[in-house]
Amino acid sequence: MSEPGRARGRGRGLLTGRQRDPGLTGRRLLTGQLLPLLLAALFLLPLLWMITASLRGPGLPPPRSIEWLPTSPSPANYGEVFELLPFGRYLLNSLAVVALALPLTIITASAAGFAMAQLERRSRSALVVLSVALLLVPVTALWLTRFLLFSWVGLTDSLLALVVPALAGSSPLFVLLYYWTFRRAQPGIFEMAHLDGAEVFTVWRRIALPNAVPTTIAVAVLTFILYWSDFISPLLYLRDQGLYTLPLGLRQLQQLDPTGWPVLMAGAVMLTLPAVLFFLLVQHLFLGERGLRGR
Amino acid sequence: MEHTAAVVIEALHRIRLHPVALSWRAGLWLLLLPYLVGTLLLVGLPALLSAVLAFTSYDALTPPVFVGFTNFRLLAADPMVTTAIGNSLFFIVLAVPLRVLGALGLALLLRRPRRGVGAYRAAVYLPTVIPDVAFALIWLWIFNPLYGPLNVALGALGLPQPGWLADAGTARFPFVFMAAFQIGEGFVVLLAALRGLPREYEDAGAVDGAGRWAAFRYLTLPLLLPWLALLTFRDVILSFQWTFTPSIVMTGGDPYYSTLFLPLLIYEEAFDGFRFGAGSALMLITFLLSAAIIGAIYLLFRQRGYVADV
Repeated sequence: MSEPGRARGRGRGLLTGRQRDPGLTGRRLLTGQLLPLLLAALFLLPLLWMITASLRGPGLPPPRSIEWLPTSPSPANYGEVFELLPFGRYLLNSLAVVALALPLTIITASAAGFAMAQLERRSRSALVVLSVALLLVPVTALWLTRFLLFSWVGLTDSLLALVVPALAGSSPLFVLLYYWTFRRAQPGIFEMAHLDGAEVFTVWRRIALPNAVPTTIAVAVLTFILYWSDFISPLLYLRDQGLYTLPLGLRQLQQLDPTGWPVLMAGAVMLTLPAVLFFLLVQHLFLGERGLRGR
Repeated sequence: MEHTAAVVIEALHRIRLHPVALSWRAGLWLLLLPYLVGTLLLVGLPALLSAVLAFTSYDALTPPVFVGFTNFRLLAADPMVTTAIGNSLFFIVLAVPLRVLGALGLALLLRRPRRGVGAYRAAVYLPTVIPDVAFALIWLWIFNPLYGPLNVALGALGLPQPGWLADAGTARFPFVFMAAFQIGEGFVVLLAALRGLPREYEDAGAVDGAGRWAAFRYLTLPLLLPWLALLTFRDVILSFQWTFTPSIVMTGGDPYYSTLFLPLLIYEEAFDGFRFGAGSALMLITFLLSAAIIGAIYLLFRQRGYVADV
């Protein structure tokens, strides 16, 4: 047949020739199986050591040799955390913040992403550029004056201070995720619904959102992790101990007993586990072959 | 913004005149309103305010007093500021290349779909979702000079056991090391970028008899460079703030200010010392520093002809 066809054939021959080379097979095994396995184990090591340390029996001296798994696992440290501090209260506060921020974020981020995707080209690209630029703004560049603004309007020492970013979609990334999702929708489908007499809000709520469930799940999990882990905002805004959230409680635990490692690690496990579990439930949306953006 | 305001006013008029008929476009801008107004109030206003406060003396109790460049003069003469800038630059110079190259290496290694690759990718991403305080405490335990798993392992292997966070000479290295574990976002971005590359490129490379390294160097890498540049810029900016939680939880800036990074100093100036003017000035300095670093990296990339159209 034609030249390219033969070239392809020759290329394939070259590759199979290589695969038969014993040295290269060894390398293949290394980069294909062994190296990924070792690296994955390395990245899991901090989690493993945290869990192992948290299960060490109370009263035992610190281990003098490396402990991969606890020798006599005991859940006592987890109970100890609740005795030292009102962790139940902190847990409720954390849940209250998440319960408020999560739906608010879904509403504001999806509304903004939907509107951005429907606007004409000029406004659309201006808003995308703005959102990407906002992604580059570090929190620490704003925290000081944000704190002053919050204290002027009386928002400090209130859980609402932690929820306020949800009014703006929590993160420009979430708005962009919805934007990309709705841009992929069949062109004109939303305007058509509008021409049939549906209001913008109805189109967004009844047609757009139900068709963006994977994105909503991904944004919900990322939002959960964002607010559940937030340490800096409560550190800045909360003085009243009754309002503390879990990350601040963990810090308090450290200040109470800086060397009580098993108890500290038990607290760290309790803060980490929900974030890890939610992530594992939806990781295929981020890491799978199709990805959130699909193909 | 003027445009937005006009549209909103138009929208409100319409609501009053015809309660049902809201134009499609006006409705869209109404949906965008929370995001735009919220961003203006939570990002625009604080940014503007810190640019103003940097030139005042302000303790949050009495009204701010305009002092010109006094804050900057005092900060320039303060050895703590030079130490903090040096520490932050030390962290950035080591952590940013390590994080970007680490994410690139892992993305290349785990790009092909095959058995078990999903689990490996999840494992690489997992440290990134650990809440900051817990993450800092875990590493404080790992780097504990006496009982921490790391030194116990080093001792078992007969290797020297450094004092890590307890020793001013080594205290900054654990920060770099642990930052290299939270690279999930860059990893995902590069995986997506690799997936977006046309397959034909590499096939063509194989046909030409190019080795794997040559194919990567001359075909894959140039196509990835805009993404790598973007990740580097983002990492430089975020690295300034990343050190805050670990430094406040693990060391408080000790020993001998060896882990006093810029955000911790800003925090202490403003929230412990009630010097909001000086704190704002430091924020401005941080901002200018990151802009300078990014500018330098941009020139470096452009000089090599890579980011012609970023």
